[in-house]
Amino acid sequence: MTTLTRQDLNFGQVVADILCEFLEVAIHLILYVREVYPSGIFQKRKKYSVPVQMSCHPELNQYIQDTLHCIKPLIVKNDAEKIVVVIMDKEHHPVERFVFEMSQPPLVSISSDTLLSHVEQLLRAFILKISVCDAVLDNNPPGCTFTVLVHTREAATRNMEKIQVIKDFPWIVADEQEVHMREPRLIPLKTMTSDIVKMQLYVEERAQKAS
Amino acid sequence: MDDLYLENIDEFVNDQNKIVTYKWLSLTLGVHVNQAKQMLYHYLEQKRKESSGTRLHATYLVSGKFTQNGNTCHKVAVVREDQLEGLKSKMIVTASIHVYSIQKVVLKDSGPLFNTDYDAIKENLNICSKYSAIRCASAVPRSSAEISRLQEIAQGTPPASEGQQAASKLSMNGHSPSALKPATQQPKGIMGMFASKAASKHHETSKEVKTEAKEDSVAAEASNSKPTSKGSAMSNFFGKTATRKTKPSPQTAEVVIKEEAASSAASPASKEEDEPSSSSAAKQVPAIKEEKPKTSEAAPKKRKDSKTKAKRLERSDSEDDKSESQQKKRRRIKKPQPDSSDDEIIPDSPPARNVKTPSPPPEAEVKKECATHTEDAGGIKRRKRRKVLKSKTSLDDEGCIVTEKVYESESYSDSEDDFVKSNKQQLSKQPATLRATGGKKVEDKKSQKKSAANKGTKQASIMGFFQKK
Repeated sequence: MTTLTRQDLNFGQVVADILCEFLEVAIHLILYVREVYPSGIFQKRKKYSVPVQMSCHPELNQYIQDTLHCIKPLIVKNDAEKIVVVIMDKEHHPVERFVFEMSQPPLVSISSDTLLSHVEQLLRAFILKISVCDAVLDNNPPGCTFTVLVHTREAATRNMEKIQVIKDFPWIVADEQEVHMREPRLIPLKTMTSDIVKMQLYVEERAQKAS
Repeated sequence: MDDLYLENIDEFVNDQNKIVTYKWLSLTLGVHVNQAKQMLYHYLEQKRKESSGTRLHATYLVSGKFTQNGNTCHKVAVVREDQLEGLKSKMIVTASIHVYSIQKVVLKDSGPLFNTDYDAIKENLNICSKYSAIRCASAVPRSSAEISRLQEIAQGTPPASEGQQAASKLSMNGHSPSALKPATQQPKGIMGMFASKAASKHHETSKEVKTEAKEDSVAAEASNSKPTSKGSAMSNFFGKTATRKTKPSPQTAEVVIKEEAASSAASPASKEEDEPSSSSAAKQVPAIKEEKPKTSEAAPKKRKDSKTKAKRLERSDSEDDKSESQQKKRRRIKKPQPDSSDDEIIPDSPPARNVKTPSPPPEAEVKKECATHTEDAGGIKRRKRRKVLKSKTSLDDEGCIVTEKVYESESYSDSEDDFVKSNKQQLSKQPATLRATGGKKVEDKKSQKKSAANKGTKQASIMGFFQKK
């Protein structure tokens, strides 16, 4: 049983891999549940031993994968404070924001076995919560689009602008309009604390969605 | 029983926004499943009478006699409330209806239902059958002496079978010689399920729609004509002399049932492949019907196809009725029939796949595959065709962009992969330059290419390229 400590080079990579996999599943699920795209493009796949809905559309999948590929180095260095999936209406005003707040706990080591099944269980609970979030949210207006924002600690993005992690996939500083929402309502969904990450998911919703 | 449970359910559903299934409730409150079902029913009645506050949604488990394409079968389905009346009217005899779950949210698909039960059962694995209505007197845990004896036997078998064992122990007990006992018990249990027309609730696996009883027993009887030949062919094929409890018909049926079951712990690799292909195939009901006459050749294959097709139709009926009605899609994604390619899958695929394909002339098939197998072993490299899943984007007649994932036959040979690829790149540039430049340069390029060809070990392939031209 290998034990990884924070000093190990792999620790950050392992954690980042797990979180990026989870974020990919979560983003697909959010797009399915909130009906950002028609449900016909989604198919059932298995993750964490439960069925989840993932899209089959190649460009959409590529976009999400590229996004997370760029986010991964930030997570490795623990620079990513929040990862936000913003759903915007036709005028590009945010209607809903799914905020994944994450931080790494100051714990020293993880052991590969039992821990990951516990983490899997916690992530499964997140998936379940996203599936039922419809009940606490109002319906979105038609024609919504989505985008992914990353809130970083300090000035980590300055490096990102200089180094293009993926060619032709630039990241830009988000405008105020996309970041802030009028009259937000906060709905917490799930919190988890584990040895490798502390994550919180909540939704900020605009009070009046139909513009 | 006192009414405290009503408040409990209220808290779960309204405050915690949980999906409360009867199974989850029975494990949480420690009551028998039938009691849990009644509790849910009473709660629902009470809330509906009050007709205040948030709307609750419920799903129901319906089972009964059902006809489809002239076959009668016993159907067990989980449906939303709005689909309940429709399904009830379609059934000849409705054997039982009960509340499956209550939740605040409108469920778009059945995934969250499975998710809810998964953790509850996993945590209470030792008592998960304590409150269940299904009983089997001979299903007792093994003693440690038995386990150690079986482990010794397992270690004695050739390593080739270990991979199969890992897979088979979980789902297909008939393959592994070390699991002889459950092999005999389980097929009997499954066959017992088929024979009885009573509304037997599948313990953990009744999430998806299943077709069983008459349809499968007919299939089992018809295939009895060649169980022995198939059994010997399969065992020859694997080259094992170990005793195999070859009961192909219950195995086939068992395999098909288990593949459809969402929660059975089948081998992950084959399961993952099967899941997306079968669930996506379910969405293309019209496409399947058209492709069916093309792909099915021999009678047994047809029968098997219709059996799995029925299963897929069932799935699509219950789950995707909503999406079928939303037919106006500009972008359609089509998936091929995996059945059509089953026979041509190369022999190294895991046994799960091989059991599923009852090849029509089993001996001829085995001979052909054996031939390629032994030739490989002999070190002679042969050209083989393999089917590769590729994504093709094209414009269809309506002007919609269609992305199709198709199995394309690709000619390949073991050692030639890289060599052929790199040469193809060089060669593909060649024709362009041939046309552009004059005659002199043509000769130069040809001589260059020949020298390049000589670097490789397989001149035959390059000459083959010329001959094709």
